[in-house]
Amino acid sequence: MTEFSDALSITASGLRAQSNRIRHVSENIANADTPGYRRKTISFETELSGANGTVKAGRVNLDQRALEKIYDPSHPLANEDGHYEGSNVDLVIEIADAREAQRSYEANLKMFEQTRQMSSSLLELLRK
Amino acid sequence: MFKNLEIFQVSHAMAVHAATRQSAVAQNIANADTPGYVAKDVAPFMEHMKPDSQGVTRLRATRDSHLNGQQDNAKPAIFETKDKSNSPNGNAVSLEEEMLKAVEVKRQHERALAIYKSSLDVLRASLGRR
Repeated sequence: MTEFSDALSITASGLRAQSNRIRHVSENIANADTPGYRRKTISFETELSGANGTVKAGRVNLDQRALEKIYDPSHPLANEDGHYEGSNVDLVIEIADAREAQRSYEANLKMFEQTRQMSSSLLELLRK
Repeated sequence: MFKNLEIFQVSHAMAVHAATRQSAVAQNIANADTPGYVAKDVAPFMEHMKPDSQGVTRLRATRDSHLNGQQDNAKPAIFETKDKSNSPNGNAVSLEEEMLKAVEVKRQHERALAIYKSSLDVLRASLGRR
């Protein structure tokens, strides 16, 4: 039975990490039009302490790509040549990232469900 | 006669093997997006069995503590596979492959439990308690 509780905690950590990732993606999308906003990314890492092989979302990194220069002389933040700095969020990348996170989340969810089924069918042996 | 029923031991070992593999697969899926992660797996169940001198396939002792009365310790080991990664972040997990493995594990576990259950039914029937 310890294998099952290990598997459940590992899967739960995967779910947590993926939802953390989707949280950052939605933050990026919400701020796609905020001037000077830098896209946030997180990287996953395997946790060495605790249950073997659980995953956690690492620290947040800011994307260092150049900010987009937008021409709009009437904008309050515009400089002398009429440009201001927008965000460096690329919506296509964010949507693709969200899709990948969703796919991984679903895979984890499926594993959770399957582990649960396996352990309950094991307990079924005790009935009768 | 009831002291050492091989079929229960084998089906028990099979269920333990399935559970261990399930936890390896869960680990791989949870780490499907971790950079530099190497996929883990468990040796096939057949490697825990081997034919003895009479040609009967039995559980194999892989440690001294095995088979001296209790072979429940015959726990399958999780090892790292040698799969080469083909993604830019060095992760070698393929979600599709892991899903297939998970189905295989589920079927093996169900098979083991079915064997256990029907052997138990036979035992019960022989005791006259159906």
